Amino acid sequence: MKILGSLLIVVAGTAMGFSVAARYAERPRQIRQLISCLSALKSHINYVAIPLPEALSQCTSGIVGPVADFFRTMSLLLLTNGWLTPQAAMDQALIESKQLVLNQPEREILAVFGANLGGMDREEQHKSLELVQEQLARIQYEAEKLCEQNVKMYRYLGICSGLAIVIILV
Amino acid sequence: MGIDVLFKIAGVGILISVFHTALKQAGKEDMAHLCTLAGFALVLLWVVQLLGRLFTTVQDVFKLF
Repeated sequence: MKILGSLLIVVAGTAMGFSVAARYAERPRQIRQLISCLSALKSHINYVAIPLPEALSQCTSGIVGPVADFFRTMSLLLLTNGWLTPQAAMDQALIESKQLVLNQPEREILAVFGANLGGMDREEQHKSLELVQEQLARIQYEAEKLCEQNVKMYRYLGICSGLAIVIILV
Repeated sequence: MGIDVLFKIAGVGILISVFHTALKQAGKEDMAHLCTLAGFALVLLWVVQLLGRLFTTVQDVFKLF
């Protein structure tokens, strides 16, 4: 019985460590997907000139996961609720997609992007999208550095904290 | 009882050293030192109890009051 309990504690600690590590590993990937979606959206706005909901749903082609879901939710919101501004739709989509592991800086940049989206002419949107991409690229670089450092540490810490709790309790 | 506590202390020591290296590699040296200190305090808690028992035993054996 004691062995079973300690095994469970160790497994729980390990799982906690790995889930936190997975979160850190997931963040740069999602930012990368966000950048590629935004560059697709940029060309859809500039050269294809289709309405925003369609552009949003088409710019996710080739990408799966939470980021694609986020853009699709936003497009759906814009299609079904015509009175929503792009900014409000983006806020709503950010709330609805729980799988996104974005931190405060990315969310702020996305809010700026949403505020400029659909409010100006093509040239200005092009400029603002380029700015957003640049900022996201910098954040991606930082997130990758953070990921490299932290993933291993959180795995070790998870396993070791499970073992430590077992030793203290025994 | 005695050998049990020894093994517990040894286990905590090994784990704390792993904690320390993991945190140090991640560049969080302050956290590593804090962690070491926490482990030290934990072990000290156990050891102080044993030391207290040792002193009372010594008192009993030599009839010191």
